[in-house]
Amino acid sequence: MIAGITLPMAAEPLIPHRPPMRLVDTLVSVNDGCAVTESVFPRTTMMADGEGTIDEVAFIELIAQSYAAFKGYVDRMDGKPPGEGFLVGVRHLEIPGKAHSGDRLLTSIRTVAAFGGFAVVEGAVTRGDETLASGSLKVWLVDPDADGG
Amino acid sequence: MNELRKAIDASATEVLPGTGTGARRYRFSPGFIGFSGHFPGNPILPAIVQIRAVLSLAEEEGGKTLRLAAVRSAKFLAPIRPDEDVSIRYRRRIDSGRNLCDATLSVAGKTVAAFQLELAEGEAPR
Repeated sequence: MIAGITLPMAAEPLIPHRPPMRLVDTLVSVNDGCAVTESVFPRTTMMADGEGTIDEVAFIELIAQSYAAFKGYVDRMDGKPPGEGFLVGVRHLEIPGKAHSGDRLLTSIRTVAAFGGFAVVEGAVTRGDETLASGSLKVWLVDPDADGG
Repeated sequence: MNELRKAIDASATEVLPGTGTGARRYRFSPGFIGFSGHFPGNPILPAIVQIRAVLSLAEEEGGKTLRLAAVRSAKFLAPIRPDEDVSIRYRRRIDSGRNLCDATLSVAGKTVAAFQLELAEGEAPR
């Protein structure tokens, strides 16, 4: 175990996103390619309308940032700085629910495949027992040793 | 309407000649709120901003409030940087009772993103 890395922990040291585009607050747990993060959108977020309803596109970013936090954690545990990654695809992402500022949102991700610098990730955003969004993302992981990366 | 959407709408620069589809050009300045924190020193237009822009354009041109019900597929092929001219084109259609929206984003004639979204209509105005 690396000194100073215990869960739950703040997501910010693990991911390149910063406010207002850092939407994930805390990495809650990591287990065998899976992870759970927590997010609470403040009333002042640019993603909320006047009634506090969160723009549904935010769910996509929550899943992407949750995978980034997971990967950053794994990198840190391997003694490396968190690597960079970019969202390159989304498939079959359903958004049946709505979130509001102040809701405690948990995002679960599972690494389905990782090959050739790409990872396929399944994710779901929940509030209590309610699934607000779920689907699959494809992420390109930058090779820090590649020229021009 | 949320602040992100207001900033996206304010970044529209030109209505493009239509060919039966919606089309508009945008330029997201370095100060655009979506670049803030995404990423420091390496600003890239977030994927969700690209999807939100299509959704907002379809909403405005259709005259009805829309909700994003699903992203059936989306590909992000190249990063979009500040001050690039981004052309958005979309086409709406009904398939098996589903309200679909096919969209492409291009920069300098090159496709940088393509989506198929599923929309839901008739929600209360935001």
